[in-house]
Amino acid sequence: MKKKTPLVIVLACLIAVAVLLAAETFIVKVKTTALRSSPKFYASAVTDIKAGDRLEQVSMQGDWVQVKTASGATGWIHKSALEPKQFNLLASNKNLKTQATADEVALASKGFNKQVEDSYRAKNKNISFVWVDKMLLIKIPLNQEINFLKDGKLADFGGGK
Amino acid sequence: MKARTLIIIAIVVAVLAFLGAGCSVLQKGADAVTKINKSPVVKTAVALRNSFADITEEEEYYIGRSVAALILSKYDVYQNEPLTQYVNKVGSAVAAYSDRPETFAGYHFLILNSAEINALAAPGGFIFITKGLLAQCRDEEMLASVLAHEVGHVASKHGLKAIKSSRLVETFKMLGSAVAAQYTPAQLSQLTELFEGALSDIAGQLIEKGYDRKLEYEADSLSIKFSTATGYDPNGLAKFLEALVGESKAAGVKGWFQTHPQPQDRLDRVKKLIAKLDSLPKENQVRTQRFKQAMSGLK
Repeated sequence: MKKKTPLVIVLACLIAVAVLLAAETFIVKVKTTALRSSPKFYASAVTDIKAGDRLEQVSMQGDWVQVKTASGATGWIHKSALEPKQFNLLASNKNLKTQATADEVALASKGFNKQVEDSYRAKNKNISFVWVDKMLLIKIPLNQEINFLKDGKLADFGGGK
Repeated sequence: MKARTLIIIAIVVAVLAFLGAGCSVLQKGADAVTKINKSPVVKTAVALRNSFADITEEEEYYIGRSVAALILSKYDVYQNEPLTQYVNKVGSAVAAYSDRPETFAGYHFLILNSAEINALAAPGGFIFITKGLLAQCRDEEMLASVLAHEVGHVASKHGLKAIKSSRLVETFKMLGSAVAAQYTPAQLSQLTELFEGALSDIAGQLIEKGYDRKLEYEADSLSIKFSTATGYDPNGLAKFLEALVGESKAAGVKGWFQTHPQPQDRLDRVKKLIAKLDSLPKENQVRTQRFKQAMSGLK
């Protein structure tokens, strides 16, 4: 029995490495959204997540991915909110993981961003953003949207395919 | 048996040692890059971008905001809270069952105070529909089909495709050389000019010329897909296009007619696509009733 123990441990280590290599992580690419209790848009929210958060894939169902957050919460999210990121040995090191995130933040903030919009607005004072900002505030509360779908027998509540 | 076990252990140890060494080398390499000069890593990553598909969600959002502001500089907003809420409920439903339910800041719908028959979608999910177009709709299915067509443009990033590729290449190249957290005044000025150029490429297509026919047909096809997935009868699109066939002669070449292919041509294609579907969701009295109620306030 004693002789077998090292082999079992070593094999377990190898399996662990293989699992780490195979596990897929995602980065949230939308500003804010929620993890859902089931793979449906109108399922209850488990937790809120935001751009840049890392999620680890647990399973998949169609276009929906079951993921786990860094704090251990598990829920479903549509793949359109996620940027796939292959897990690798480099990123398994905690320091490097932090560094990779810092680089990604630097990259994400590059390009057409708020700084560029401010500069554009300073040059084009006749272009108003008042209604653009008001438009962004129009949001149908989840319970109202669910009732709307239920009453109209739409989607999961009637005729959706 | 003992010898075989030893061999297995030796192989496993060798593999682990190799992996460990590999890790160590890679790690040292990465540490060196991190400590000494990480900017080339960022530079290379940025320089890898070369097409509209490489525009990030956040960049798309900022482009969309400004395109929306440009649309709103040409049209007034129709301020009718209950009707705007209703349009947003229908739009949110078809967006939720589209190929791209999540965008950086979500989908938002606004009514424009214009008798012109038109609908416009800015990148990222800023969708506009005129009072004139709303007046052409007789039920929720028709409205849903038009909104689903616009969601289709957003989902397939048709707006971003309008940006000239030479402009994108120049933008990505310029970003590749800017590695500091903040842009220098010269970089910001250059980037703002590129941004203005991109906006004019998109607004030119959206408001003036219209998308390529191929993209309009694609949006029609997506409208049928998203409407059906939501539970709407996709014939809403056919009924809407039929209504436009009559209107197009009277309206001349303004709004939707200026920027979209001939409605009869689209109608023929849409009918063929719908005919291929196995079973269709049926129209529903509750939906038609609430549509009429919401529209009763339209002035």
